[in-house]
Amino acid sequence: MLRHVAGKLGGAVAGVAAVVVLGFFLFRMIPGDPTVTMTRGRQVDEAQIAELRALHGYDRPIVEQFGKYVGGLLRGDMGTSLFYRRTVAELIGERVGPTLLLVGTSTLIAVTLGLWLGIRGAWRRDSLFDRTSTGVALLGWAMPAFWLGMLLSMVTGDLFPSGGMRFSSTPPGFWPQALDVAHHMVLPSLTLIAVVYAQYQLVMRSSLLEEMNADYLTTARAKGLRDDQVRRRHAVPNALLPTVTLVFLHIGLVVTGAITVETVYSWPGLGLLTYEALAGPDLPLLQGTFVVLAGSVIVMNVLADLLYQVLDPRVRAS
Amino acid sequence: MSPLLELRGLGVRYRTDRGEVTAVRDVDLVLEAGETLGLAGESGCGKSTLAMSVLRLLPKSARVDGEVLLDGEDVVTMGWGRLRAVRWARASVVFQGAMHALNPVRRVGEQIAEPIRLHGGTARVADLLDQVELPAAKARSYPHELSGGQKQRIMIAMALACDPKLVIADEPTTALDVIVQAQVLGVLSRLVAEQGIGLVMISHDLSVLASTCDRLAVMRHGRIVEQGPARSVIAAPTHPHTQALAAAFPVVGDPAFRQVEPDEVRESTPLLRAEGLRVDYRGRGGVVSAVKGVDLEIGSGEIVALVGESGSGKTTTARALLGLRPPTAGRVLFEGADLPTSSKGLREYRRQVQLVLQDPTSALNPRHTVYESVAEGLRIHRVPGDEAALVADALAKAELRPPEEFFPVLPHELSGGQRQRVVIAGALALGPRLLVADEPVASLDASVRGEILALLLRLRRELGLAALIITHDLGLAWSIADRVAVMHEGVLVEQGTVEQVLLDPSHEYTRRLLAAVPSTTP
Repeated sequence: MLRHVAGKLGGAVAGVAAVVVLGFFLFRMIPGDPTVTMTRGRQVDEAQIAELRALHGYDRPIVEQFGKYVGGLLRGDMGTSLFYRRTVAELIGERVGPTLLLVGTSTLIAVTLGLWLGIRGAWRRDSLFDRTSTGVALLGWAMPAFWLGMLLSMVTGDLFPSGGMRFSSTPPGFWPQALDVAHHMVLPSLTLIAVVYAQYQLVMRSSLLEEMNADYLTTARAKGLRDDQVRRRHAVPNALLPTVTLVFLHIGLVVTGAITVETVYSWPGLGLLTYEALAGPDLPLLQGTFVVLAGSVIVMNVLADLLYQVLDPRVRAS
Repeated sequence: MSPLLELRGLGVRYRTDRGEVTAVRDVDLVLEAGETLGLAGESGCGKSTLAMSVLRLLPKSARVDGEVLLDGEDVVTMGWGRLRAVRWARASVVFQGAMHALNPVRRVGEQIAEPIRLHGGTARVADLLDQVELPAAKARSYPHELSGGQKQRIMIAMALACDPKLVIADEPTTALDVIVQAQVLGVLSRLVAEQGIGLVMISHDLSVLASTCDRLAVMRHGRIVEQGPARSVIAAPTHPHTQALAAAFPVVGDPAFRQVEPDEVRESTPLLRAEGLRVDYRGRGGVVSAVKGVDLEIGSGEIVALVGESGSGKTTTARALLGLRPPTAGRVLFEGADLPTSSKGLREYRRQVQLVLQDPTSALNPRHTVYESVAEGLRIHRVPGDEAALVADALAKAELRPPEEFFPVLPHELSGGQRQRVVIAGALALGPRLLVADEPVASLDASVRGEILALLLRLRRELGLAALIITHDLGLAWSIADRVAVMHEGVLVEQGTVEQVLLDPSHEYTRRLLAAVPSTTP
């Protein structure tokens, strides 16, 4: 067991290392000169740009730049944003909170909703409920997040704020602030939920359908269990197993997926930060967000694996 | 006083896409308290449907006619609440627990205790485990940590949890080895007798039923065709189907079941030979020796049965003989020469030695026609000649006649026996000298087994085809083999002619195996 965990963690570390390498070289291929970004809107001559290049080391060979970048990373220094002129670590630290709040809440709701709909649909397969709920879920899945976001703000009018995280006019105390944030969060989380819950529902549904004819369910029925007891105690714990992997894998991806939603609603999170970094391109910032986003996918993957060990005794043994 | 269980004019129909299918028709059956009844029949005869209808466990597509009276109360018209109260408390089921009847993610102790808690009463799991001769600590195990025999004992303990008056055992020992089967049957019979429980036992194997039940009922096409005291049904079956079922399970030692003439193999030259064969598997817990030094010889035109329980190493031996797994030590010789190691040489060798697997349904590609399945080997080996003629010839040899009619047929349109013939035809098409058959009839219905065995014998007579038959079934070895090799824990404990080994065994393990075979003559 310990060996297994150690192996998984080793794999995760290797994954993060690969992400660092990939992130560094990938973003060097984006067209656009970072020094030009920095000097946008200002009168500069060639000599000044060259000086700036030398200052940030962009005139050095790429391998040397990479070495310097990795060295900094190891010391916890992710570099300084060209655009904001603040350290990347500081910026990310500031933006992580809102993203976790938005993505965390939405994922929790989407997973609960998806699993519940999936279980109900599979248990009464081909019923009206099953067909409509699957249809609606697919509709949401097929919708582009930005378009749905715009649509929602148009339809709801002034009911919910459609940008930012709080009004500056809100009184300071905890409750007024919390309420204000929640108010701002309604539209972005609705959009995020609508777009992602379908896959939880569909995976849960098909996974449960596969278990529906299992012999141990007949055993459970023969014991005199009520239908909902058979479902809750026997069918769902088994059908949940493949779903766990998906949910955790996806939580990592949702952070990335929040880029569109956060941009549409100007939600001050990592997604918006990534978008801004891309627009630059603000290379140090982009590398930083890339490492954090990809790292979260890897961490969730490891978590899914470990959780699976706890949930499935068969995996635990081998 | 009404009987424990009474079926009156029971009929069950299933609604399917292709219309209604009748699974059980017009069955009348009575079981008094404490009585044991065996229900025999082939797959699809309706015996399991009949059993499931007693607790109304049939799928939604089933329509039930007639009455199922449990202590005089009709289960068919019972309300759901009452039905749930009756289930397990009055009658319980021993499912084929070795397979999938236990929930894989819950501890077996919880699963045993579940019905007790549901129906009221104190959970006495340790006590129940003790009854089925398992240590109380096993309650904390998950199903996959238990052996097939242990899982079946758990199933029995679970069935007895609420002190039912009726237990229905649905193929309780199928997929278990003979010795384990004997133990499980022993436990079940003892508990049923001690606690005065009525038992309905379902099996395709008459000998299993004969050794545990007072009465026997034989089903075919949804009807009961013969019913009576077990002894007289076995000894003097009146219905031809019962006779066929009885004949399909050869009694070791009974000359009537021996299909081989004493001097059938006159002169035989060594064909395939294993010397000091050893195969190790490298696992997490270190190296495991599956085969520990086996010397085995198969002569031309000879039928050798390799007998042993699951895990004895017989399949690994076969894989090494086929060159599918390189031996860790020792040699395999074909016609006096070592097996080739190059892939080209091995391909040539496998033309001579063909494999027939246990389950023809999974051995055949469901999307390939019979013609494609048989012709595939010919194409791989680039056999010269007219492909269609060769395929037709192979099918005819496997007694699928007229062969042309089978060309476009897909596997699911064939019966189990016909499918196994297609597999055999695929092997025959290459003109092999030896067939290695791994449990060739284990997945087939009783009445078809005899035909396939007869086919193997006829192929030997007409084509001089030798065969190595891997089986756990001593009766099968008795009926068609010339020689028997008994394998136990990776070692050949005994080998010799069928008469020597099966009638006068010299090794203790062979004696134990023979003693465990359920007998139709109590």
